[in-house]
Amino acid sequence: MYKRLELHNHTTESDSSLTCQELVAHMLSDSVDAFALTDHNTISGHRKIRAILQETGAPIDCIYGMEYTTYYGHILCLNLEEYVPWENINRHRPELLFAAAKEKGALTGIAHPFSYGDPFARGCRFEMTVTDYSAVDFIEIFNNPEPLHEVNEPGLLLWENLVLKGYRLAATCGMDLHGKWSFTDQYATFIEGEKNGDIASELAEAIHSCRTWVSRGPLLIACFSPEENTLTFSVQKSTKPGFVYPDSYQLVIRTVSGDKTFPLQASGSVRLCADLFGNDRILIPKLYGNTTALEDLYCVSPVITL
Amino acid sequence: MKKYREENIMQELYRVGGTLNEGFVGQISYTVCLETEYKNLDIHFIFDKQHHTAVTNELIAKVRRTCYDNYGIVDYPQDKAVDLILGEMKTEIHTLATLNDEFIGCIHRQSTDRHMLYQNGEATEGCIPQTAFSGVLKVTVLVFNVILDNTNYILSVSAE
Repeated sequence: MYKRLELHNHTTESDSSLTCQELVAHMLSDSVDAFALTDHNTISGHRKIRAILQETGAPIDCIYGMEYTTYYGHILCLNLEEYVPWENINRHRPELLFAAAKEKGALTGIAHPFSYGDPFARGCRFEMTVTDYSAVDFIEIFNNPEPLHEVNEPGLLLWENLVLKGYRLAATCGMDLHGKWSFTDQYATFIEGEKNGDIASELAEAIHSCRTWVSRGPLLIACFSPEENTLTFSVQKSTKPGFVYPDSYQLVIRTVSGDKTFPLQASGSVRLCADLFGNDRILIPKLYGNTTALEDLYCVSPVITL
Repeated sequence: MKKYREENIMQELYRVGGTLNEGFVGQISYTVCLETEYKNLDIHFIFDKQHHTAVTNELIAKVRRTCYDNYGIVDYPQDKAVDLILGEMKTEIHTLATLNDEFIGCIHRQSTDRHMLYQNGEATEGCIPQTAFSGVLKVTVLVFNVILDNTNYILSVSAE
């Protein structure tokens, strides 16, 4: 099954208007499978959410984490069980903090890399110099409340460019939830998992293997057959409410050489010979609606390495 | 959570103040040795001058120049610059506490007057309840942004 995750959420433990109880209720109201608790610089909500889920038996999982909110950018930590100090962060060597969190078993990623910082909101833009992106597990390519072109588009391009250079980076997205905001038509992260599976393990597997989908509803599923040297693409509906599914899509595959576009019917599939991509070995499949404008981007699928 | 003053009187263990200059980014840590064991603790932090109260042509020009330099925004509208200066730009300071090197809380909210109160097994949101306080308390003032010179702050630690 595909699990829908909301990976960036705050509570009154930091600066949101939602209490832990209200956050759980809000997630349940939109049929979320699992949500991350990523308060700014505190893990005080962890025990509260644990208690709520234990007492209520709510059919939802929590991914415990934190958003390291530093002077020079925000770092999302997921599967973080204990506080890791960040205060001595060196903007020219952020890999040290990524490594410290990873040593504790956490998954670390760059949140909203191109948000506006000074003079709007100091620290929100990621201004650290990353020399070694292998220290990073994922990049939040869509931070839903942020402006599409000014902030999210360069985030998507950053991830695409790094991936096409060969870095193994998963793509995620999030609501950066600070209140009872609507999920309708917003991007969510999807991973593969089992019913009643351990969400922390499933997330770690998905991030480490870069098998994450960032989607507003439809999931673009790709299958590579090395024996036949073919790629097959199809679309599957997700459980995310509110998306109006069209009859047809456009499949775009981005490589170092550029984009190739193919029509894709909702009820059908597209089968491509891998030779079509020449020497390009890294493919980024994306699903669009009527046009290939960013406004019509429905899904970014896991990267395919031929 | 009830304010401690309604029910209890805590003893002030430590009080310190300081002045920050415009543009400072970094942290200032204070270490307090708790010589006896305490049941409840309050860390109180206040600062002044969170927002600009007046707009000058120089400030508007600086904001517009920053918008261009940082984000390539050409001719950021003057009226928006005024709104930004008076509404959104702020001095941002947060507080973080550890007890014997263990994290016990951080307040990350836009307020100029905040308590990190640990009392009767409960704690202010952002903080982790503790059963007792002894050993070494470290309070770190996290300074994200100071927009005005001579911004004053006071930190006090009380316990019972």
